[in-house]
Amino acid sequence: MSDGGGESGREFDRTTKRKSSDRDFPQAIAKIAVAQICESAGFQGFQQSALETLSEVVVRYIRELGKTAHTYANSACRTECNIFDIIQGLEDLASLQGFSGASDSDHCLAGSGTVREIVQYVSEAEEIPLAHSVPHFPVSRDRKQTPSFLQIGEEPPGDHIPAWLPAFPDPQTYVHSPVLNERGADPCAGNIEQARQHKKAEWSLLNLQQQLACNGLEGPSMIDPGDAAKARRAAETNPFLSAPLHFGEKGVSPVFLPAKLSNEAVVENQAGENHAVANHVSVLETFAPAIELMKSRSCESEEGRKRVLSNQRPAVQFKIEIGKKSTGTALDLSFQNKDVEKITSWFGKDNEKDDKKRRAEKILKESMKNPQELAQL
Amino acid sequence: MNQNQGGNDARHDDDSALSDFLASLMDYTPTIPDELVEHYLAKSGFQCPDVRLIRLVAVATQKFVAEVASGALQQCKARQSAVVKDKRDKQQKDKRLILTMEDLSKALREYGVNVKHQEYFADSPSTGMDPASRDE
Repeated sequence: MSDGGGESGREFDRTTKRKSSDRDFPQAIAKIAVAQICESAGFQGFQQSALETLSEVVVRYIRELGKTAHTYANSACRTECNIFDIIQGLEDLASLQGFSGASDSDHCLAGSGTVREIVQYVSEAEEIPLAHSVPHFPVSRDRKQTPSFLQIGEEPPGDHIPAWLPAFPDPQTYVHSPVLNERGADPCAGNIEQARQHKKAEWSLLNLQQQLACNGLEGPSMIDPGDAAKARRAAETNPFLSAPLHFGEKGVSPVFLPAKLSNEAVVENQAGENHAVANHVSVLETFAPAIELMKSRSCESEEGRKRVLSNQRPAVQFKIEIGKKSTGTALDLSFQNKDVEKITSWFGKDNEKDDKKRRAEKILKESMKNPQELAQL
Repeated sequence: MNQNQGGNDARHDDDSALSDFLASLMDYTPTIPDELVEHYLAKSGFQCPDVRLIRLVAVATQKFVAEVASGALQQCKARQSAVVKDKRDKQQKDKRLILTMEDLSKALREYGVNVKHQEYFADSPSTGMDPASRDE
């Protein structure tokens, strides 16, 4: 509170810091007004306690005047006050001090001494408006009311509840519902998620490597299987430590299981075909033996199956169907297709052998579990 | 009859004077704002939609405060004139009129308001002294 902005020569006879003495906003306004009146009377400074006391007295004066006037109005069987009620209140309050004509018992209120004194005061005193503009108070905050049943358009749940009453809160706010396990009973879901995360990270790395490897290459060229084997062996331990590729060579993935098949498939399909497309197609062919095996319903063990795949040279079906699933983007929700896509990218590029080996085995394992999806390929 | 007529004329004069005064009140802006007066009148049950009456109450209150302030000022000046000192500094300081609790309590006592002054409130050098010898 600034104690009035337009006053000059004010001082506080206190050495302590200002205390928050104004509890109420109207009391603070009253202090400002009283200080301004006292300044016009001739005072140049105030004691803080004196100012507070005087403002408190002023507030009580106003309230007393209002109460007296209201009492007089009630005595006259009215609820609203008029000018005569106020004049009577003024006379009551000024009776201690005295005013002219106080002793008259039947004088007219309109010509009361108090009114005359006020008229005289108004004519003599100079007009001093308050230094601050006072907003309308007390400020009432609009409460957001709960809409009724009628306003919502709902039927009240019961005949005993009228529709104009506020509506009940939503059941979600008070009903406890069990938390559903979205993962379900699939135990591999977590593993698949993790594997997907890894593949995502490697996908970007492989893309980079592909760009570096294919820079300058006019296209996929014929490579000697012997060279492929050599490169594979070199990259067995660590692809980054392997010998750099010569011009025209292609880094071949060292995955032994389907890699042999895929290499041959890649070699056969290189002519004039897109690299990525060839990869996709090769995957189809890669898994064709697996599909055939599943269809034949052999009871071999996993290793036996692998051996079968590695030793046999099954009939490769060149289905150049770029189905939606095999060319699914990274946003494809089917994990199967994503893994297939990623594995195709590995074939023909430098990669870590162990990861790919593991993933290839996993793919085959899952392909055994979900035969229907592969059948669609 | 004549008295009554005279009385009636006086009343009419009074009424017209009052109504004129109330009309003139709308031009005069009292120091105490209307919102404040309305707030406290509403607290005490005063109901009136007429703004002129609010202004009347505000002006009456302002007159009351002015009277109290003038009374306190008289007390302060009387105190200063009573204190006779040879030092020029003191006289120059005394030119400053400050509203103190003592002056205020004396002024309010005339209006029937008893404001007790706290003895141990150190607002003047003579705090704690004997009341009889304080006015020196």
